[in-house]
Amino acid sequence: MHDMAAEITELLAIHQGLNTHEEPNSEIVISGNLAFEAVPEDLPRIADTFEIEVRVPTAYSAILPEIRETGGKIHSEYEHVFPNGTLCLGVPIELRRIFSRQPSLLGFMNGLVIPYFYGYCYWNEHGEHPFGEQKHGGEGIIEYYTNRLNLREEVQAVAFICFLYEYGYRGHHNCPCGSGQRVRHCHGPILLDLHKHHTPHTLTHDLSCALDHLFEKFKDNELSLPDPLLKQIGRIAKGKNRRRARRRRF
Amino acid sequence: MTIDKRRYSKLLAKVAEDLDIPPSKYRDAVERYQAVGRWLEAGEYPCAGTPDIYPQGSFRLGTVVRPIRHGVESDYDIDLVCQLPIPRHLTDAGSVKLMVGQRINEHDVYRQMRDKEGKRCWTLQYAEKDGIGFHLDILPAVPKKQSLSATAISITNKDGNTYRWSTSDPKGYAYWFDQKNRRAFDQVQWEQKQLIQSRAAGVYASVEDVPDQLVRTPLQRTIQIFKRHRDSKFNGSQRTKHAPISIIITTLTAQLYSGELDVFSALSAIVSKLHAFASLVDSDFVHGTSQTSNLISRTPDGKWYIGNPVNPEENFADRWHEDNHARARSFFWWVASVKKDLVDIVGSGSADMARSQLIATLGASVVANHIGLIVPAPATPSQPPRVTISRPARPWGPNARHGG
Repeated sequence: MHDMAAEITELLAIHQGLNTHEEPNSEIVISGNLAFEAVPEDLPRIADTFEIEVRVPTAYSAILPEIRETGGKIHSEYEHVFPNGTLCLGVPIELRRIFSRQPSLLGFMNGLVIPYFYGYCYWNEHGEHPFGEQKHGGEGIIEYYTNRLNLREEVQAVAFICFLYEYGYRGHHNCPCGSGQRVRHCHGPILLDLHKHHTPHTLTHDLSCALDHLFEKFKDNELSLPDPLLKQIGRIAKGKNRRRARRRRF
Repeated sequence: MTIDKRRYSKLLAKVAEDLDIPPSKYRDAVERYQAVGRWLEAGEYPCAGTPDIYPQGSFRLGTVVRPIRHGVESDYDIDLVCQLPIPRHLTDAGSVKLMVGQRINEHDVYRQMRDKEGKRCWTLQYAEKDGIGFHLDILPAVPKKQSLSATAISITNKDGNTYRWSTSDPKGYAYWFDQKNRRAFDQVQWEQKQLIQSRAAGVYASVEDVPDQLVRTPLQRTIQIFKRHRDSKFNGSQRTKHAPISIIITTLTAQLYSGELDVFSALSAIVSKLHAFASLVDSDFVHGTSQTSNLISRTPDGKWYIGNPVNPEENFADRWHEDNHARARSFFWWVASVKKDLVDIVGSGSADMARSQLIATLGASVVANHIGLIVPAPATPSQPPRVTISRPARPWGPNARHGG
């Protein structure tokens, strides 16, 4: 369990331009100026200040905070902002992975928010993203799994998401990549890592994003799905076997 | 976050200092008016003796405020009395006014600097190299004998083409003001003279050379703040012509000052005492201490009275009843505004609110210089935290289909 008061104290001690208050719905709001000097590996250091507003949901830390830049410093043509003004820090599963390194509000700020602003400053200066950028929407989710698991096709990525959704981690199952090997001898370690960091929330999110994206292509006949995957999607859609092994610990 | 009174008081003092005439400018002004004085003294007048030339008004009282005209900071006003040693019964108002005007015209440079004739004075416009000029108003006068005050004078008043006498007593008023100011002056003068000398060592060789006229007590600072607040509150508005006149602000403030040694304490105490008179607008009776309750009063015919402390016959509020008591209403509206704008912000609002309120009422340029005293700079720690970035996330984005 997290201790909210201690996390806030820790955050404000380091980032002294920030303040907090509690909304009537007991959501915590952190706002003010976030000043930083960011030093990435092999890239120039950047010092800057952004005016921000962070909303910490009541379900924190199962659900991560949302952040907005309120000083009007981020150009409207910068693509990594949601229509509601919150910043697209990264795909949800990656945010959870990074958050787990230091699971606190300070960790959120230093591990996710400041690198995002660094990326923005760098982009603003040089016109490119220092750490690369993820494609948008469901395509970006699939791209993430494809890269992370070193896959060749989008369909494989969807198979992994469905596997995680339906079984979690099962070392003795056949690997969703289609290699014919057991999971534990194939993509096991990465799959296990993904499984460890997913929450019901992020997994449902990724599945629905990926299926939406896939469905568009499927509809346009750009894609054919292997029978077992189609069946699995059918099972998931009907709610059968749903997250059967989800809470099993390894 | 509440505003610290001590720091706020310092801010008010600093703002007043910026509105004031700076020591070097003061010295220039004195040199200019002494030169004019020598020229006037050397003139030929139908009398024995030489004219007495002396400053009056805010320049003499140490309550100068750089005026705002049409929203911009403009030139300082300096008032100079040119008192000719002619007995009043041997001359007339028009002759005295024209004698002085004639003498000004005899000087090639002054003739060019002269404005058209004013109601009571001749005005010389000094355009200065640094852009901060001043108007020198020269007020022709003769001594007024058979008066209670030895210092009373008769000044001239032009109405159309006719000149009439009226009475004034700038020297007497200045002595009265000095007395109200004396105790505080004694307490602050040494420290202030030291500070002025250290800042303007080129102007004053030693602390003893710093003239008394440059020392400012909390009373003088309060009057300056009041006048600036009045100027900005009434500037360009419909109410301009009903704005409280400086002599009323100065007189009441000096009467109500009880020796507070910081500007905020003085200002807030005086404002609350003035506020107590507001009920006079709707009735003719006010509760107050016997000492101060008659400072502003109503006469049985509904008119208003604020007496000149050195000449009770002179009523500074003689026009307050006009236009349905417009000047009286303006005055108390202004007092309420001062209370709201400059007193109530302590302990109530946020520092940001205080900043915008002070800028709106005292002027952006003077407030901006000192706002740091009460409002911390936009909160950026001097040393921002250093964060190492390692294996960060890549920014993602909304699905294009959803309009991102």
